[in-house]
Amino acid sequence: MKLKGKILSGFIILVIMLTIAGGWSIYELDNVGLTINKILDENYKSINLSKRMTEDLERQDSGILLLMLGRWKEGREILSKADSSFNSNLNFAFNNITVPGEKVNLDNISASYSAYRNLWEKPIVDTDKEGNFDWYFNRMHKEFMKVKYAVQQLADLNDKTMYEIASAAEQRSNRAIMPGIIAVLSSILFTVIFVYFVNYYVVNPIVNITSRVKMFIEKNRPFTVEIETKDELLELAESIKKLCEYESARVNTK
Amino acid sequence: MRFHVVLRYVAFALLLNSFFMGVATTISFFNNDSAAMPLLYSTLITALFGIFPLIYVPKSGNISNKEGLLVVVISWLSSCLVGSLPYLLWGGVFSFTNAWFESVSGFTTTGSTILVNIEALPDSLLFWRAATHWLGGVGIIIFVLSVLPFMGIAELVLFRSEVSSLAQESFRQRARNAVRILAGVYLGLTILEVIALKLCGMNLFDSIIHSFATIATGGFSNKNSSIAHYNSPVVEIVIMIFMILSGLHFGLLFTAVTGNIKNIFNSTITRFYIISMLVGIIITSLNLYGTNYDSWIDSLRFSSFQLLSLGTSTGFATADSSVWPAFTQLILIFFTFQCACSGSTSGGIKADRIVVLFKSFIRHLKQLMHPNAVIPIRIEGRAVDDKIASRAVSFVIFYIAIVFISTLLLSLLGIDSYSAFTGSAATMGNVGPGFGSVGSVGNYSQIPQLGKWIFSADMLLGRLEIYALFIALTPAQWKKSVSY
Repeated sequence: MKLKGKILSGFIILVIMLTIAGGWSIYELDNVGLTINKILDENYKSINLSKRMTEDLERQDSGILLLMLGRWKEGREILSKADSSFNSNLNFAFNNITVPGEKVNLDNISASYSAYRNLWEKPIVDTDKEGNFDWYFNRMHKEFMKVKYAVQQLADLNDKTMYEIASAAEQRSNRAIMPGIIAVLSSILFTVIFVYFVNYYVVNPIVNITSRVKMFIEKNRPFTVEIETKDELLELAESIKKLCEYESARVNTK
Repeated sequence: MRFHVVLRYVAFALLLNSFFMGVATTISFFNNDSAAMPLLYSTLITALFGIFPLIYVPKSGNISNKEGLLVVVISWLSSCLVGSLPYLLWGGVFSFTNAWFESVSGFTTTGSTILVNIEALPDSLLFWRAATHWLGGVGIIIFVLSVLPFMGIAELVLFRSEVSSLAQESFRQRARNAVRILAGVYLGLTILEVIALKLCGMNLFDSIIHSFATIATGGFSNKNSSIAHYNSPVVEIVIMIFMILSGLHFGLLFTAVTGNIKNIFNSTITRFYIISMLVGIIITSLNLYGTNYDSWIDSLRFSSFQLLSLGTSTGFATADSSVWPAFTQLILIFFTFQCACSGSTSGGIKADRIVVLFKSFIRHLKQLMHPNAVIPIRIEGRAVDDKIASRAVSFVIFYIAIVFISTLLLSLLGIDSYSAFTGSAATMGNVGPGFGSVGSVGNYSQIPQLGKWIFSADMLLGRLEIYALFIALTPAQWKKSVSY
């Protein structure tokens, strides 16, 4: 191979190593970014909705307790607002299904909430249920806890998924770093080898040729240089050798 | 010392590695698994490092012994280094130490692993893992020599540097023929075992993985419970047969197959190897019957597999030998040290050296009684050169000394002495599993980082038969002429 080809090949190889490593690192980092967005947009949203639904349930429970104390107006007002908020949050959650198993969870919440709502929708004030804490704890509170547990399961599911995605993101970030590290180390090693070869096969022969030419001029020593490679340097050495032989012959005939 | 010439020959080894990485990459893309990019990048890096010296350095058929030795050592070290790239880039449990350990374990055909859950790796990475075994089994340089055209004196020098002097003694062939025989027998056995395992009901991928591991006497399975996963006596019998064959001198196998099969038993070493294994199996079966196993069949089945596995330095497991009686464990430890014959893919001290050691001892006894007598050591009717005999004895001494030093260093790191000792013996002998926490159903994941580096050094010392690595890493030696 010609000298130009050899030197060019060295740089091309270096560029290939760095380009692939760089490209791959960028790809993995991009994925890390997308993963983080996913965590924020999807899973965190669902966890937030679960929190709000839990708050709505707590307010409903407070409303029911007010009804138990005979305060109909305040109780029904709180219940109405909390119910409306809960349904709104539940609808948001239904439109934000991103995790396997989330739909089943939400259906569960919906079913258990219907059963809970059925209980407090019916009149409580001025009935035998008013002040009847046995009924409250045995029926109402049990249904309340069922819904609350179902909502908690939704939060737990998204929590777990968020953790898994975060772990995968961590692994992706390691994968983004590692090609970079290996590319840097490989490039350093490659550069050392490249410089060694250039020194041995290009610089040294040129230095040898130069010193032999000097010796021919100054001390009339025959020009003999060994060039291992079959490239422009060998052609140069052979041309100079012919020139020196011609010059010697010319001087001798004089 | 022409370092550029050394790099040219090392480049061939790297290209061979990149070829197999390329195959693993193809599997990865076909399966669409997570190791595609790690394998592709590793293939490219390795190939580029392999191609580059070939562009610059012209052909040279003439290399010195020193250069040949350096080619072998650097080829092994660089193969282990590039071999760790796929693991490192894939990530997971693979830190640099773990990736290096797994790669060294693969190429040296030790079979020790840091993986707790082997089956969690994608198939492509499991293939690469097995391929490192297959490449290292017969020797990376032998592989290179078998595929390249005639390289002049370089071929002889590289052959002598790669193959141990003991194996060369028995190879009464020219280097070129010896290379062809080694590679041919190796490939032939691998193909035969793949077919045999496939007929036993294993799927093709598992057959290839386990054949690579058996013929190279490596032991990397793609199942967490190794061969026990299959719970098949037929599979175990097939693997046992091929383990025994892989422990025989390949030249002997070749002459037996192409000439008279009975020639195998004409060899003193082979007779010792087979008889010692048989005796070991009988003794361990007797010891296990009534203690760990209630039936003779089970006792024979599991003891024979474990003994052959450790005795050929393969390292497969069908039972947890760590819970076997101490007597049986000690028998297995002996075979961990001895292993099989030279000229095979097995590690350890080798049966040949044990025979030479024993005969040296007998000769010494005779000389004590007859001080003026000239008593040569004879093996198969031929007198063994005193140099060979003394090399064998000093090798055994160095071997045991290294195991002892490793045990000491490992115990300083807090590893219990039994695990440290058996682990050192197992890695030095390229066997794989030891006892205690590094037993046949265990792994090396819990070993401290520095401990893994010590075990890796043991594996390399064992595979390169001690002297090569020491000479290559001792600058003072390069000033003297090296005869190896």
